[in-house]
Amino acid sequence: MMPVILARNVDKQYRLAKQDIHAVRGVSLSVATGEYLAVVGPSGSGKSTLLTLLGGLDQPSAGSIALLGQELGGLSDRALTRLRLERVGFVFQRFHLLPVLTASENIELPMAERRVPRAERRVRTRELLDYVAMSHRADHRATQLSGGEMQRVAIARALANQPAILLADEPTGELDAATGREILALFRRLHGDGLTLVVVTHDDRLAADAQRVIHMLDGRIAG
Amino acid sequence: MSWRRAVRDLLRHRVRTALSLLGVAIATALLLDMVLLSGGIERSFGRLLVSRGYQLRVSPRGTLPFDTDATLDSAGQLLAALRAEPGVARAGAVLGTTAFVRRRQALTPLVVYGVTPEAQGIYQLDRGRDLAPTDTTSVLLGTPSARRLGLGIGDTLRLVGRLDPRVAAAAVTRLVTVRGLARFVYDAKDQPSVAVTLRLAQRLAGPAAVNRASLFMMQTTSGARADSVAAQLRRKYPAVSINSVADMVAQFRLRLSYFRQLSLILGSISLVVTVLLVGTLLSIAVNERIGEIAALRAIGIARSSILRQVVLEGLLLTVTGGTLGVGLGIGTARWLDAILTSFPGLPAAISFFVPDARQLSTAAITLLITGVLAGLLPASRAASTPIAATLRNDAP
Repeated sequence: MMPVILARNVDKQYRLAKQDIHAVRGVSLSVATGEYLAVVGPSGSGKSTLLTLLGGLDQPSAGSIALLGQELGGLSDRALTRLRLERVGFVFQRFHLLPVLTASENIELPMAERRVPRAERRVRTRELLDYVAMSHRADHRATQLSGGEMQRVAIARALANQPAILLADEPTGELDAATGREILALFRRLHGDGLTLVVVTHDDRLAADAQRVIHMLDGRIAG
Repeated sequence: MSWRRAVRDLLRHRVRTALSLLGVAIATALLLDMVLLSGGIERSFGRLLVSRGYQLRVSPRGTLPFDTDATLDSAGQLLAALRAEPGVARAGAVLGTTAFVRRRQALTPLVVYGVTPEAQGIYQLDRGRDLAPTDTTSVLLGTPSARRLGLGIGDTLRLVGRLDPRVAAAAVTRLVTVRGLARFVYDAKDQPSVAVTLRLAQRLAGPAAVNRASLFMMQTTSGARADSVAAQLRRKYPAVSINSVADMVAQFRLRLSYFRQLSLILGSISLVVTVLLVGTLLSIAVNERIGEIAALRAIGIARSSILRQVVLEGLLLTVTGGTLGVGLGIGTARWLDAILTSFPGLPAAISFFVPDARQLSTAAITLLITGVLAGLLPASRAASTPIAATLRNDAP
């Protein structure tokens, strides 16, 4: 079966504060459909940079990445944006919900961008709110939600366009232990429902739930 | 959702948005006032000149009507000749002079218009009856003179003609009866004017004024173009100045060209201020929300959608501020108009701030384009946010 992600000898260098950072060095990686992969490693090991490359948010300095059979290097910005909108879900450590929108409106946003009819959007939003157990907070603005609630809404938003893969960067990083467990359970459920997951994390519990764990050190896969 | 989101985004910082709206409103008010002012007085002057239906004026050569004390000689013959011209439907003469009314020991000065009642375009009869063509015993009072003299219809008064400066004696005095009250359309505010027949005014003005007039006013026949009739009469009567309303407006425009320049400069400044205000506010907002914007790009929101959203905020700010500015501008225009029209010598019916649909719609469209332009720079910056680098910088 074709892998969802296929990375070959990926390198990434960038300049930060007048310093050249070699964040990812010769990483090759394959993620199969329905797989739950955790990427762990110390801060600065390049795991978040690798996630941005796998999700088409940035271009590698060398090597190539194929996402759902499409070589990302050959895609225009417009095509990459479309691919992310329709096939990839992103979850961030800081949630990045729009504070001026309600939970429902935040979830609707990617569907509105995809021009899904309003009635269909409403139905799908209700389903997703149910799925993440946030129906009771549907009309609350993001600023009125707790960290755990915001992350659940963010996960629902990531699922809005029924992506083939969910990429999560430290999804429990800003949450307390109990709330983190709820998110953990949610990820377990998503995997159980057949979604492909790649999670960058410091959280041992989250890593322990994954089918496969990759350790990164100094931009390389250490094991 | 876009408009609603734009409103909510602007309301994130209410004080900042309110101050920006105030700035845009003031700039819009200035723009509106400058648009009204730039051509307002010309339009008002043009309307005033044709308000009584007379499109042509004949005045002494090289002068405009009532521009100087110069008068036309052989007024009776010239008037008869002009009335016989093709293209001329009606023609009337006006002689402007000064007369007095003796009240107790004081002399009250009056502006006297001698007119040919059958063809006059300087007053509108409000009450009573009009003058008869050959009547030398009647007078029409303007409201300020009626108020100043304390007279009404049916009262009599003794008009004292132009005084001889050497002996301070009147050239002539006449007892006249008030036949009606009139509104003099070209008068300044509170100007004490009266109308009498041309013949009486000539007598009151003294021996030198016999058969003279300050100007003639003419109506063209229906279908005749005033400019063509004026050109034809100019060739035939080179000893006098013949101007159509358009000619007079053009000369007026020349004299007031500084008004237009000032309006253009101030109007342009207001647009620049609007661009700076809206652009600055949106730039600050984009900077504050750069992490949010990068996340939106990450989840698949297109550059064009980000661009549209920021431009929409700019447009919303401009339209809302602009709407407030229209009210403010109208209020300011009225206030300034009251000040400017109180300048001595200006007809009270003149207005400096006159709306013109075409100019107003051009200004509105310019303002909208300004709003869009002001939003474009911050919007394009937002749309070109580097996703990974921004998210990396935004990470804890």
